[in-house]
Amino acid sequence: MSIESAQMTHAGGIAGHIHPEPQGFVRRYVFSIDHKIIGIQYIITAFVFFMLSGLLAETIRTQLLNANGGFVSPETYNEVYSVHGSAMVWLVVIPLLTGGFGNLIFPLQIGARDVAFPWLNMLSFWIFPVAGLMLFSSFLMGAPTAGWTEYPPVSLQGSAGTSMWAAAIFLVGVSSTLTGINFVVTLVKMRAPGMTFTRMPLFCWGQFATAPLLMIATTALAAALAALFMERVFGVPFYDPTKGGSPVLWQHMFWFYSHPAVYIMILPAFGIISEVLPTFARKPIFGYKLIAFSSMAIALAGFMVWAHHMFTSGLAPYLQLPFMILTFAIGIPTGIKIFSWTATLWGGKIHLTSAMLFAIGFIALFTCGGITGIFLAAVPYDLDVHGTYFVVAHFHYVLVGGSLMGVFAGMYYWFPKMSGRLLNETLGKIHFWLFFIGFNGTFLPMHWLGIEGMPRWVATYDPQFEFWNRFASVSSYVMGIGILVFFVNVLWSIRAGKKSGPNPWNGRTLEWMIPSPPHYYNFKNIPTVYGLPYDFSHPLPYTGLEEELTDAPPALAAGAH
Amino acid sequence: MVENRAQSAHVGPGFWSVTAVLGLLAIASIVFWYWFPLEQYLPAAIVTARQVDTLFRFMAATGSALYIFVFGYLLYFAIAFRVKPSDPPDAIGVQVHDNHRLEFWWTLIPALFVVLLSVVSVKIWYEIMLEPQNGLVVQAIGHQFNFTFRYPQINGEITDEMHLPIGVPVTLNLTSSDVIHSFWVPAMRLKNDTVPGLVTSIRFTPRLTGRYQIICTQFCGVLHAQMNKQVLVVEDKASFDRWYQGWQVKNAHVSNALPAAGGAAVALTGGSAPAGQTLFAQKCSACHAIGPFNQRIVGPGLKGVLHDPSHPDLVNGDPATPANVAKILQTGYVGSLGAMPNATTNGLSNQDIANLVAYLDSLK
Amino acid sequence: MAVASIAHGSAHGDGADQLYVETRELRLQGFLLFLVSDCVLFSSFIFAYLYLRNSGQGWPPPGIKRLDVAFAAWNSVLLFGSGATMHYALENWKHGNFMKYMWMLIFTIILGAGFLGGQAYEYTHLIVAEHVSWWGSGIFGASFFTLTGMHGFHVFVGVCYLTVLLLQSAAGVYTGQKYFGITAGTLYWHFVDVIWVVLFSIFYLI
Ligand code: HEA
Ligand code: HEA
Ligand code: HEC
Ligand code: CUA
Ligand SMILES: [Cu+2]
Repeated sequence: MSIESAQMTHAGGIAGHIHPEPQGFVRRYVFSIDHKIIGIQYIITAFVFFMLSGLLAETIRTQLLNANGGFVSPETYNEVYSVHGSAMVWLVVIPLLTGGFGNLIFPLQIGARDVAFPWLNMLSFWIFPVAGLMLFSSFLMGAPTAGWTEYPPVSLQGSAGTSMWAAAIFLVGVSSTLTGINFVVTLVKMRAPGMTFTRMPLFCWGQFATAPLLMIATTALAAALAALFMERVFGVPFYDPTKGGSPVLWQHMFWFYSHPAVYIMILPAFGIISEVLPTFARKPIFGYKLIAFSSMAIALAGFMVWAHHMFTSGLAPYLQLPFMILTFAIGIPTGIKIFSWTATLWGGKIHLTSAMLFAIGFIALFTCGGITGIFLAAVPYDLDVHGTYFVVAHFHYVLVGGSLMGVFAGMYYWFPKMSGRLLNETLGKIHFWLFFIGFNGTFLPMHWLGIEGMPRWVATYDPQFEFWNRFASVSSYVMGIGILVFFVNVLWSIRAGKKSGPNPWNGRTLEWMIPSPPHYYNFKNIPTVYGLPYDFSHPLPYTGLEEELTDAPPALAAGAH
Repeated sequence: MVENRAQSAHVGPGFWSVTAVLGLLAIASIVFWYWFPLEQYLPAAIVTARQVDTLFRFMAATGSALYIFVFGYLLYFAIAFRVKPSDPPDAIGVQVHDNHRLEFWWTLIPALFVVLLSVVSVKIWYEIMLEPQNGLVVQAIGHQFNFTFRYPQINGEITDEMHLPIGVPVTLNLTSSDVIHSFWVPAMRLKNDTVPGLVTSIRFTPRLTGRYQIICTQFCGVLHAQMNKQVLVVEDKASFDRWYQGWQVKNAHVSNALPAAGGAAVALTGGSAPAGQTLFAQKCSACHAIGPFNQRIVGPGLKGVLHDPSHPDLVNGDPATPANVAKILQTGYVGSLGAMPNATTNGLSNQDIANLVAYLDSLK
Repeated sequence: MAVASIAHGSAHGDGADQLYVETRELRLQGFLLFLVSDCVLFSSFIFAYLYLRNSGQGWPPPGIKRLDVAFAAWNSVLLFGSGATMHYALENWKHGNFMKYMWMLIFTIILGAGFLGGQAYEYTHLIVAEHVSWWGSGIFGASFFTLTGMHGFHVFVGVCYLTVLLLQSAAGVYTGQKYFGITAGTLYWHFVDVIWVVLFSIFYLI
């Protein structure tokens, strides 16, 4: 039956075949080719890196407790924030949102048995911890000091760890590119019968908008990094002005990647929010099509605004204007999302679970960060606050208040699917409030610090800024404790948490129709899809799911060929 | 579903009163930002700083008004539409999928706002660009880890404080001798990077006397944090002149004031040395002193470039003849000292080059 | 691969073929996307080259001679010729002319190797006779050797791959329906050709 249904559509007949179950610990959990295991591997590894780079963040804040520093040397301080920024971006948020939640969830949501290239997927994963270790090991040889942006010529002067940094980021880039290719093919070719693009859950849309960015933008970064590596190691001049190179060239190439990269870090989080909100408001998502469409619009426009990071770099002035206006314009599709999410809450029957709290917190904080982004996009204002703590405030609001909140929402929401157990809700709420209050206490004052004249990348600062810096540092400890509560919660719940059953939240997307954790083959029979998942007043829009929660063995494994 | 009127009358308990409160808060925040005494925290030392403040007020006011609505509704919906203990466990919300009218407006209004914001920003950008071109030229050169300054029109020497007379338009040319720095004066609301191998410039007119901090805002090495002790002093013309003279006397032993441009032989036809001197002050003196070869700023000192027996060859190995100097100006040259920009980058016409060569030739 | 082992173990031949056809579509699309990102890699370096070229001291920079167009043009003819032979190789395969296919493939390999030889000669000449090197000749050496070297590496990988293809075809690995390896090789080879058209124009012609 499932062969037939597979033939009814172009979508992945291959999904009709079940791999033999992998045998042995190594095959199952280490070099696994199962997208769910790989997803969990990504999540665990990324959270380990998150602890490390979070501790680096606390080192930054501890140093800044006093105007004349004193906790670490200026040299070390520079290494600390450079690795903090690089690791948070490339080893934490991007892997969590794409390799982690992407792998874990979207193949289930489109009714596929795996991603298109399981072996490639395993390869992508295994590159990632290796690259991560390389990045952190650069501390041993003098870590990079010029920030995560590593502008030459100063990065050409940096110690040996800078080359290690370039190599490590190049490798995570390769991993991302492979993941992107894998995801695009999976989403295009392997949807279950009836799962048209306009019936895809919005998390899948988030991944579908992100994957091409991973594929295209990351490759541009790879070129920039390769050139930096060649220049540092072999002396091949690209960026050094005393040899005819151009330092501004690096900035173009870096930001051509890194602006799209900020959307790599937010679009999947948008997707998570779009799943959590309707489930806990027990309402269809408001404006499905516009939310899906605006993700694509943001991804596309993301390629055309990179120079807004370079307004002070000696760009020809007339070039500043188109970049400014296009950047403003990105506020429109993003606004559509914000308004649609808010409208989704209207008239709902809202369950304020931890996942829901993080989703609502996400909207509140991301909107604030987005609005300061619009401030920065206005050239005359950017000429004032570029390179100051105002920028630091902006991007932590979107990255921590946005991407990281999205990750937490996703963790509370999908943890049962990964482990079969619920995370503790009380601890979850303590986590939320400590995090939310600590977060605002840390990053809100940075806005006025920046405006009044505190630059970024400084190990010591003017004493007039001491009060708010101390305030921020203490708040960041509160945030740290909140995150500690989260880790305790995970470790405790994984062993002693309440059993969740297949569908603890009454979710309506396909991943909730199968056991938690799912069998290695996901679906016994590939379901057929009839409509959108977000219609709570209608019966489920799927058929072919009758056997999923029974003990019946999967039909195909029994020899349906 | 929500389209019909009966429904929209039931927008929810207290919807309109919440909206009214949010509206009042939004108005309050707009008023707040309109009156907020920004200059009390940070003086506006140049004319365009006040324009930037206006832009900030505009964005802060509209931004916080918008935010108050988003956050307010979010909070209100999250609280008002919670499930109640009395609800059946499988209670579901109002099954609305979309509302085209609403979606139309919340796309159109932000779009109009983007247009408005673009107009405001472009206007202020334009005012910054319109600052006079022919003001007092000052050069700031970034080094690891300080800035040095020069006043090429007065005399080419290096100072370590920057003084400006009030009310006189300034053209600040920026370059660097090593890595990228950024020249920022918070009180000016203006900054620009100093990029090695490139001269960028910003223009402004000081309007308030006082001493202001100059801060490097681009990471440039271990001591980046300490590259912020430089001061900008704005004062009246008389004290400015006094400072400048006093400083000259103090440094008399290293002084090498410009010799008057003589009418020496013109190597390239039609070159005018005085015109070359003016041009030199604008375009070259960021990197070159009029001094001996080893008096380096970014490039070598050029006083003896054509007439110093101890310096028979140019940096590219060609003999020091006017034609060869013209060639370097034309093509630029990248050697061990750094990058000398070419004519396109420097914005030199052939006539300019002839003038410059005539001027360099006149230095003996 | 697990899927393949099922295909072999299956008693139903058409089930396995069905599987092949479908994985083929996936692999084709995956491969095309790989080429897209490879293309972005080249484009980024090309952008870097054009950017440096226009911000510097004129081109070629003082002290460096213009590249020799004539030699490179002849060398390019080899590469373009190999594109044609590869095209015919695939066509012949599709029409079942096994021997013609093999000959075309062999020509392709020879022409590709010839191109690499020509490039090696050009490099040696530049380095030895004109003292232009990768790291010592400013942005000229950097961009020229990096880009053409990257392309040369792609040709080299292609030649190796086609050689493997040749041996596999001789051993009968591919059949009338299952020849994804040949399609992929052809696509790759055309891609490398097109990149060369661009590189040739921007380094030798303008
Ligand atoms: C997703 C990305 C991300 C995330 C999540 C964070 C999270 C945090 N960041 Fe960071 N940050 C960046 C991305 C991110 N940052 C980037 C890109 C830069 C720019 C770098 C550059 O300029 O090159 C930067 C720079 C940056 C600076 C500026 C440094 C400078 O310019 O001098 C500061 C300063 O306060 C800072 C602080 C913090 C803090 C306090 C957190 C906190 O949210 C962290 C909270 C996490 C933890 C605390 C760890 C987990 C908890 C435990 C393991 C429990 C035990 C701990 C305690 C009880 C304390 N970050
Ligand atoms: C998740 C990551 C993320 C996201 C999503 C964004 C989103 C945006 N960013 Fe941000 N940004 C960063 C991460 C991110 N950024 C980082 C890491 C840096 C610093 C890098 C470094 O230097 O180290 C940075 C720096 C940065 C700069 C450079 C500052 C400088 O160095 O001088 C600018 C300038 O334009 C900018 C703008 C924007 C804009 C306009 C958006 C928009 O996408 C925001 C859109 C959202 C909204 C506008 C809010 C919701 C909309 C409404 C409620 C509708 C109504 C509003 C309007 C119509 C205006 N960002
Ligand atoms: C961005 C900095 C910069 C600017 C602006 C600049 N130069 Fe130079 N110039 C240099 C450097 C660096 C060198 C030395 C190059 C080397 O040998 O490495 C140089 C070399 C020269 C030389 C050769 C000196 C010698 O002793 O052989 C001449 C002549 C010269 N410049 C003239 C000019 C003139 C005229 C202008 C203005 C139109 C100008 N330069 C603008 C940086 C600059
Ligand atoms: Cu100079 Cu920072
Ligand atoms: Cu950006």
